[in-house]
Amino acid sequence: MRLVTAAFCAFVALPLVWLAYAAFIPAEALVRANLATFGFSLENFAALHATGLWRAMGVSFAATGLVVAAQLAFGLGAAYAIRNGLRMLGLVMLLLALPSELLLVPLYRLLQGMALLDTIGALVVPFLASPLVVFLLLQALRRVPWEVVEAARLDGAGEVTIVHRVVAPILRPEMTATAVLAFAAHWNLVLYPRIMTTEALWTVQAFLTELLRARPFEWGLLGAAALVASLPLLVLYVAFEKRIIEVFESGFRS
Amino acid sequence: MTARAGGRARRLAGVRPRAFALALPAALAFVTFSIVPLLAVLRYATWRWSGTTEPVAVGAANLLRLLRDDALWSSLGTTVAFALIALPAFLTLSLAIALAIEGLRLERAIKALLFAPGLITVGGSAIAWYLLYNPDFGVVPELTGLILPWTSRPWAALLYVVLFTLWQQTGYGVLVTSAALRGIPREVKEAARVDGARDDQVRRLVVIPMLAPTLLFLTIIGTVISLQSYTAVYLLTRGGPFGSTRVLGYYLYETAFERYELGYGAAITLFVLAITLLVAYLQARILARRGAAEAST
Repeated sequence: MRLVTAAFCAFVALPLVWLAYAAFIPAEALVRANLATFGFSLENFAALHATGLWRAMGVSFAATGLVVAAQLAFGLGAAYAIRNGLRMLGLVMLLLALPSELLLVPLYRLLQGMALLDTIGALVVPFLASPLVVFLLLQALRRVPWEVVEAARLDGAGEVTIVHRVVAPILRPEMTATAVLAFAAHWNLVLYPRIMTTEALWTVQAFLTELLRARPFEWGLLGAAALVASLPLLVLYVAFEKRIIEVFESGFRS
Repeated sequence: MTARAGGRARRLAGVRPRAFALALPAALAFVTFSIVPLLAVLRYATWRWSGTTEPVAVGAANLLRLLRDDALWSSLGTTVAFALIALPAFLTLSLAIALAIEGLRLERAIKALLFAPGLITVGGSAIAWYLLYNPDFGVVPELTGLILPWTSRPWAALLYVVLFTLWQQTGYGVLVTSAALRGIPREVKEAARVDGARDDQVRRLVVIPMLAPTLLFLTIIGTVISLQSYTAVYLLTRGGPFGSTRVLGYYLYETAFERYELGYGAAITLFVLAITLLVAYLQARILARRGAAEAST
């Protein structure tokens, strides 16, 4: 089993290592198609300028940022209500099994009716609440000693104040980790943004798939684009990896 | 007086109606963007509609078309084949790796590595895979001579999509299994050892049976994902070659948004939902029967 583990780890690591390396392959190595000549170059990153990657990154950051903020705020409210006895967990679990990508057709109609097609709203509004975020925050809330909340109530604090001033600070580690997971989930939508928006509003994923289709032989450029597009998530993941794994694991314990 | 007593009873039960209002924004969003679309599919499935023109009601025509749509049934076959390869591999790997790394010094590092592909930019991953494994000029074929002909052979294409999916998702399986492993009380294992069980026997006879609910949970999640997901197919093969990787979800996307038959796409959505519910129901029944069998022993 150790052998299986080691082999699988190598299999997982290879594309990640390649992702980091390919970005620096000089263009002439590609022309000669000789792997031995692969050197180190930054020219690929300069070439990214003309491709529109930066614009796509901006769209992705804006949309995903808004979505994550809303999902945390709304998700915490919902989790708090459920922790206080609201029977909504069944709905959340049902939606957890229902990816937004399955609802492409009806969402298209809905957004058309709301005149949101091809606006940034199409990338944001349907994602204001996430069942996964509610679920993970609820699991975290269940570990909070409830005396703290009771004490705040005795002091006369309203429910919004309690969530904002008492619960949220206690849950900060879990909220950070959940935020990264929510960020990744929205950042990584591929088909949804392609369908609901046109080129001016393409997200990073839509941009990358198009770049791969249009210029499949420019390894260095593709590598650089892939690396730059992955960087935000890589940085977030490396910074919060321990918390993310803890929150994810404790969310699924029991 | 009674109102006050009622309030106290409610407080004792931990129910705080005033806190319920905080669920309103999320509930509203769920209803508007998940429940309403889910129900609206029923209506859209009766339309002939290109997405840009006004829809025309055609009654049950789309649903009848489902029955004699060969492409649909062959894509169901592809989906089943995909699930039959991917799911056992996913479960075996999750279990084997979670057991192998338990208590290792590298446990944390390995989990971090395995979880990473699911989080990094998926379009970037697709590019890395393309450059590494392309049969014509990929790095791995160039360096090792090992070629998986996924651009020309149907079986290889399906395997390629399975491998990519395992690459992305196995980290989740390992984390979930590992969390369950940690939930097994130490005393249970020690008791088995005191009774004379060897390490591998403890594993086989005590630990793995106790993981059964977790593995079933992963099976259900994995089935639902296999039935509905198609991002990997879109990124890697676009359903080809010769439709060999056109899973249900991808067929749905193609019909609705490349051939602009959104009405028929809604009918396919219903088909996928019905199959998902059926499979989830069957699996839940197995789960319940198993639970009953355990309770009776």
